[in-house]
Amino acid sequence: MELQAMYIQVLALILLIIGLATVLSRRNVFFILMGIELALNAVNLSIIGFSKTFAAAASVTGQIIPLFTIAVAAAEACVGLAVIILIVRNQHSVDIDNYSNMRG
Amino acid sequence: MLALIYFIIFALIAVGSALCVFLSKHPLYGAISLIVTMLSLAGIYGLLGSPFVGVMQVMVYAGAIMMLLAFVIMVLNGANDNRTPRFDKVSLFVFPALVVMALLIAFAFFRAQLGFDSMAVKGTVAISAGTLFDTQNFGYYLLVEAVGLLLLSAMATAVILARKEIGSKPENENSEEVH
Amino acid sequence: MIPLWLIPLFPLIGSIVLALIALASSESKKGADEGLVGFIGVLFPALAFVATAILAANMPESGFREVIGSWIDIQVFSADFGFLFDGLSRTMLLFITGIATLIILYSTGYMHGDRGFARFFAYMNLFLFSMTVLVLSDSLPLTFLGWEGVGLCSYLLIGFWNKDIKNCKAANKAFIVNRVGDVGFLLGMLALVSVGGSSLLSYPELAAWLVDPKMGEALIAGMPLLSLAGLLFFFGCTGKSAQIPLLTWLPDAMAGPTPVSALIHAATMVTAGVYLLARLSPLFAILPDVLMVVTIVGAATAFWAAVAGLLQNDIKKVLAYSTISQLGYMFMAAGVAAFDVSIFHVFTHAFFKAALFLGAGAVMHSLAGEQDMRKMGGLVHKTPVTAIVMLFAYLAIIGFPLFSGFFSKDLILERLYMSAPVSGPILYGIALLTAVITAVYMTRLMILTFLGKYRGNICESKIHEAPLSMTFPMVVLAIGAAFAGYFWVVLGQGTNCFATWLSPVLKVPQTIAHIGAESVEGPSAMVFAALGTFAAIIGVFIAWKLYAKRVPAPKGDTTPTGSAADWTFFFDKLHNVCGVLPTRFCSWFLDAVINKLVMFIQWFFGALALILGDGIRSFQVRKIRMQMGLSFAGMILVVIVVALCGGSF
Repeated sequence: MELQAMYIQVLALILLIIGLATVLSRRNVFFILMGIELALNAVNLSIIGFSKTFAAAASVTGQIIPLFTIAVAAAEACVGLAVIILIVRNQHSVDIDNYSNMRG
Repeated sequence: MLALIYFIIFALIAVGSALCVFLSKHPLYGAISLIVTMLSLAGIYGLLGSPFVGVMQVMVYAGAIMMLLAFVIMVLNGANDNRTPRFDKVSLFVFPALVVMALLIAFAFFRAQLGFDSMAVKGTVAISAGTLFDTQNFGYYLLVEAVGLLLLSAMATAVILARKEIGSKPENENSEEVH
Repeated sequence: MIPLWLIPLFPLIGSIVLALIALASSESKKGADEGLVGFIGVLFPALAFVATAILAANMPESGFREVIGSWIDIQVFSADFGFLFDGLSRTMLLFITGIATLIILYSTGYMHGDRGFARFFAYMNLFLFSMTVLVLSDSLPLTFLGWEGVGLCSYLLIGFWNKDIKNCKAANKAFIVNRVGDVGFLLGMLALVSVGGSSLLSYPELAAWLVDPKMGEALIAGMPLLSLAGLLFFFGCTGKSAQIPLLTWLPDAMAGPTPVSALIHAATMVTAGVYLLARLSPLFAILPDVLMVVTIVGAATAFWAAVAGLLQNDIKKVLAYSTISQLGYMFMAAGVAAFDVSIFHVFTHAFFKAALFLGAGAVMHSLAGEQDMRKMGGLVHKTPVTAIVMLFAYLAIIGFPLFSGFFSKDLILERLYMSAPVSGPILYGIALLTAVITAVYMTRLMILTFLGKYRGNICESKIHEAPLSMTFPMVVLAIGAAFAGYFWVVLGQGTNCFATWLSPVLKVPQTIAHIGAESVEGPSAMVFAALGTFAAIIGVFIAWKLYAKRVPAPKGDTTPTGSAADWTFFFDKLHNVCGVLPTRFCSWFLDAVINKLVMFIQWFFGALALILGDGIRSFQVRKIRMQMGLSFAGMILVVIVVALCGGSF
């Protein structure tokens, strides 16, 4: 058996699902950030996997995109962590269920 | 054949540590697990013939972003609320929904009309840093500069957002002012 | 020839003009000028009387009939405004307009100084308009219009002094009890319409339909409905003419001013029931069972009211029960199909009862409003004109020979006796006993009021005779009470002029009614006359023995107490049990059960809305993860829907 392209997609799907599950079901705010990073990684894997099925010249683009995705993820993690610092300083808790000011 | 074996090894490590991220109690454990996932993914990138991307992943993602995350967890005492349970009633609703979604996406994948030979993982045109900054051919240098600006603005934003007011009280009594 | 609609028009104009004057003067302190109002108030009824007299003098045998216009014209029902001036309505209108003019003239003196002077005359003119419409109409719907109109005016006039709540309650009682009877009238009209269509509601057409040989089968098929119609119309008459069971309003109606009692509750409105029976005599002629019911009810009422009149201390209440009793006589006569005799008794009763009421009003006026007979006495010297007027009327009512009541009452007794072999003499006996009791209580009234020593509290020098505006009508009515009976006296060719006037209308029904009845050969008229006179004299003698020497001391107010109260208020208690208590129970039931049920249903739907709202509101929650999860769920849903609808994959 050879390594087939679809296997990479399946792996990417599994990682995406686990990342989304982490986002949705954990109450600690750091885990949510980590889940988002995991999902982004899964998408990167998927893009590279697909790009590798093209002919040589066309697959360059498919490898450049993940680079930029990584850069953007860095920026996003930076700003997100700043916001988390603010929130935790304000609410004194890392439980996101306590963050709402809405009643009921 | 060998590629498949390597791939399976890397895949298992990735999925396993992703599950550890999902299930861990302390956010720091989760961060470490996430680093392991990223390293294994970098391995897969190398396996696929994009070593540049893999190295970038290790350097930037695992090396900078996760380090930042780990620092913030330690600074903010991320496991402060020890009473926070890991899963609760909402999770019961989430898991089946995500399973359903996965099945849907898989279904969409396998029925999609792919216009290329999806079975072959072709060889490599490995990219290098030269590809990024090439000005003669179709280069991506403009994008690189833009990304640089983006990172600068993000840094500035983070500093502005998270700094303390000048003259306000220290966060807790134990810390001391360092000027 | 002057048109018929002038007769109701005059009092209508008078009432509108007087209403405008009353409204315009409602702000001022003293009210409108009494001279002007009194002049207008008497002028228009006098004009109506003149118009009636002119028409009466020139009336042909068959009468006048005018159809003014169409009133209701729909598929199932049609009615017209039409007037019919035949023998019956001519007789009624002559004495109605005449006596109304006299009584309104009397009220200019009686109501002097009252703040509502103009309003009173407006209401009186409105009443006269309604009464003339009632008598003059040629069809049942228009009669019903007048019927309701007189009921309304009775309500307005009984409650005229509306600051006192007892008067308002009495007015309400009169209106409501009348209304119960009106249901019978309406249902009777409905029954007639369902037998033969709405053309049957017009009197000439009804009479023609009933004797038409071609309609024989339809007549027999519709007989149950026609009997029902007869009973229902009679029920309406018991309401208006105060018979059993709807008589409780008339004694309470004495709370109104005395001219009102004289005009409405003695001479005119209460006779509307008898008039209706006479008008519908073609219908009743073929319903012998209904006529039997009429006779029995009339007899029971006459007897009951006579005994009740004996137990009263208030002069007006005695006269009220006397009116009920005399109306019972009229219904008894109508029940044995002697309709012309009953109308004759209406005629004479109007004179002497109006004279009695006006005299009582003059007595009350001279004693500054005193109504308790136990506090009167000895007035024959102080108010001689009033005493003579009341003496004439008293002799008429007890049936003293040669006065008007003698003729009419003896005719009734005679017809009662000769109506049937067995039941005739029984009815005759009851009526004769009632005549004795009538004489007793009337004599008691005269003795307590006029003879003996004055037992009241007013300074005796202040008791004075009534002014001319009051005594003139009383004297005219007393003369009428004395001599009105001669209209029936047989002159010339074997019949008398009163019966001749009425015969075009009433002769045929009476003949039909007497077909099949066995004729009774009774004693001659002189025997009846002698028996009647004898009954009157016995009554006078009994009363003299009982009341001339011993007068009960006045204690408390005039309401009867003890067993007298049980007899007097018997029908009030009956109404309470039959009508008031079920209504109270129904209202309690509706409030406690139905209201709660409706409130529960409202609460239920409100609660449903609240629960749904809360449920939907719970989607807007403070749980961030729930929001995220729901977003994902929505996205999944969209994908599924697109896939199922043959979407992009």
